[in-house]
Amino acid sequence: MTAAQWLTSFFADRGREVTSGQLHGMAQRGGDVSASVAIDCGPSPRIAEGRADVVLGLEPVETARSLPFISSSTTVLMNTRTVVPFVVAQSFVRKRNGGRYPEVSELEAALRAVTPHLVALDFTRLAEESGSPRTLNMVMLGALFGIGLLPDSPGEFLEAVRSRIPPRLSSSNEIAFLSGVRAVESFQPVGGQP
Amino acid sequence: MNARGVPHPVLEDAPGTSASFLGNLAIVRGALEAGVQFVSGYPGTPASEIGDTFARIASDADVLFEYSVNEKVAVEIAFGAALTGARSLCSMKHLGLNYAGDPIATMPYVGVEGGMVIVSAGDPSLVTSPNEQDQRHLTRFLFYPIFDPATPEDARKMTRAAFELSEATRLPVILRPTTRVCHTSGRVELGPLPRTRNPIRFEKAPERYVPLPENARRMRRELTERYSLAERWLGRSEFFPRTGRGKRGVIASGVATAYVQQVVSELHVEREISLLQIGAYPIPETALADFLLSVDSVLVVEELTPFVEDWVSLQAFRSGRQIPIYGKETGHFPLEFEYGPDLVEDALRRYLGLASRPRAAVRVPELPQLPPRPPVLCAGCPHRTSFYLARKVFGKKTVYCNDIGCYTLGYGEPLDSADVLLCMGSSISQASGIARTTGSRTVAYIGDSTFFHSGLPALVNAVQAGDPITVLILNNYVTAMTGFQPSPTGTKRPVIEDTVRGLGVQEIYSVDPFDETAALEALRKARGGDGVNVVVFNSPCVVNEARLGIGAARAPYVIDEALCNACSLCVRELGCPAIFVEDGKYFIDPDLCDGCDLCARLCSRDAILPMPDHERRT
Repeated sequence: MTAAQWLTSFFADRGREVTSGQLHGMAQRGGDVSASVAIDCGPSPRIAEGRADVVLGLEPVETARSLPFISSSTTVLMNTRTVVPFVVAQSFVRKRNGGRYPEVSELEAALRAVTPHLVALDFTRLAEESGSPRTLNMVMLGALFGIGLLPDSPGEFLEAVRSRIPPRLSSSNEIAFLSGVRAVESFQPVGGQP
Repeated sequence: MNARGVPHPVLEDAPGTSASFLGNLAIVRGALEAGVQFVSGYPGTPASEIGDTFARIASDADVLFEYSVNEKVAVEIAFGAALTGARSLCSMKHLGLNYAGDPIATMPYVGVEGGMVIVSAGDPSLVTSPNEQDQRHLTRFLFYPIFDPATPEDARKMTRAAFELSEATRLPVILRPTTRVCHTSGRVELGPLPRTRNPIRFEKAPERYVPLPENARRMRRELTERYSLAERWLGRSEFFPRTGRGKRGVIASGVATAYVQQVVSELHVEREISLLQIGAYPIPETALADFLLSVDSVLVVEELTPFVEDWVSLQAFRSGRQIPIYGKETGHFPLEFEYGPDLVEDALRRYLGLASRPRAAVRVPELPQLPPRPPVLCAGCPHRTSFYLARKVFGKKTVYCNDIGCYTLGYGEPLDSADVLLCMGSSISQASGIARTTGSRTVAYIGDSTFFHSGLPALVNAVQAGDPITVLILNNYVTAMTGFQPSPTGTKRPVIEDTVRGLGVQEIYSVDPFDETAALEALRKARGGDGVNVVVFNSPCVVNEARLGIGAARAPYVIDEALCNACSLCVRELGCPAIFVEDGKYFIDPDLCDGCDLCARLCSRDAILPMPDHERRT
């Protein structure tokens, strides 16, 4: 399941009104994909400008692309491991603009100019260390719950994972999730709940 | 049941509870609650999950299901089932309805016995389509009742109700969700699942089912009656809810309704507004008349064309109700593309005379240029190899007509294998048109599923005319782009070659694109041939094989830094997403590389080799 699907089912199971929207189908062909999860916000499947409380950025350029949704009170969790789109190499060999993937530090700086609540980490490395880069979703969900923005604790989410996945499969997900929780231990969230 | 024996959530028999469902799943649920008995369809974003879900649950739910070869056949089969009394559903994207245009036009005349619902999912903002179109016009054009859901819960209730309406009027009914309903998850109430279903029988009555002119004229008169009956049925229904008592009227339809509700709540203007949701067409005159009398003005909020806006304006004019009506025609909303909460808020503020939406004082950051991330053929995709080899033989000047599928991604640098594109199956006919007037051999690319969907008539035509075209059929044994639905080639019998031969093409080559010698030889012969010739490239979709856990595991390749001279040919010619350039050095990401060998064969320095000691991947 994607991070958005996990969050949707977790909060819906707790009786919250969850509206989540996805533009999907292109991820397998390398296209960009985003999803929104709105909890007790109303029926709109799209988030308005500057109104994201949290951005889970699984890739640096994609995180920067979500700037229209970010304001000074948004918390951004950005994975610093890049996935370079194929067009960059194409532009490079043809000596055109766009032949360079931006420096992650530049992207970080641009985001920090808008919001001080930014955690930029190589979350993919944590996923790899827990056994598979495919658990990146779980690592970042761990960071989300670990940050303390949500009223629900990491332990409650882990319970939900265990109830949905059989134990022999859930352990790598749990390890990944907990590594995400640990990674943000020292981070101070925006005051109070969104 | 899934692998763990857990039934699919859409089958949950727990009336009165609620669940979070994707809009498309809510449609499946609504159909199940109506006792649907037969389902057909063709995949297409944003509708694909409807067919895919029915494919998974069909035997558990005791529903007859098929992925049809195209939407015309899907609709006709569903209609046949409906004539026997079965409740039938047919699903497709908006373009699919166009393809089924001929049966769609006549079905309302003949009428159904069991209720029939056609789901035709729209794509405002053309996320995955070459056009956007407003299906709602079909209500006036062809006498279809049409439901227009705003949320997944709407989609469920409307699908269920559509079957009742269909049987009450004997009209096939359209459900028209859009991407932001189909691919939105929201709370859905679970209704009861029925214990009984319609009995099946075909009762002979040719005068009832054969629209020869003498019957069709009678049917036409009856159609007017049945359509009026639909309007009265809708007038008694729950699908035109009205909230608020304010004097500033707002009329909304589709997902725009959700944006209006959210914005009204956030602006705290509930008391100033009366909101009427239009959930279906034809819009009952009574629902609209009462509303127009109770407000001083109307803002219409709808995506695509000003369909409701014009309907409301006309009814207001005819009834002598002279109030201002705002919407697209007055510049409050754009004529193209989807809406969102910001657009709706701006229009509502303007309508209510409120101050402009405050924009957060954001320091516009020094943002480096962000590279776009368009979709691209997967690493290892056989189409990349086919395009590359064909271009080597046919060259830059040949016109390449492309079609709809993963291979559409042959468009643009560096493969440059799509000069024209129109719709499903059009590559062959377009190639005929261009070859006919220029006299030059023209190439058409078409996939296996698309070929059987709508390529056959064009090929018959080309053979009859003797057009100098080369049809390159890219067979990856599956309907990949929409989610790996089955294709007629799935059995692995040479059904394409047999069909092409049967249609009279004499020069046919059948090759593996990864057998470069054989592939190049076939392409050269085709280029030098007369009239219509066909090269079938047979090689399975690598992603489909990976997800099924079949197919050969191949070692990823690595670029030897010592041998590489940075000539850039591998990047320049192939556009493979596994090859990167960093700090002027070329390298391959072993997690992305599929080991197809194409770049290695192209490399003039033999600098690209399979990684040694590679762990076998499953």
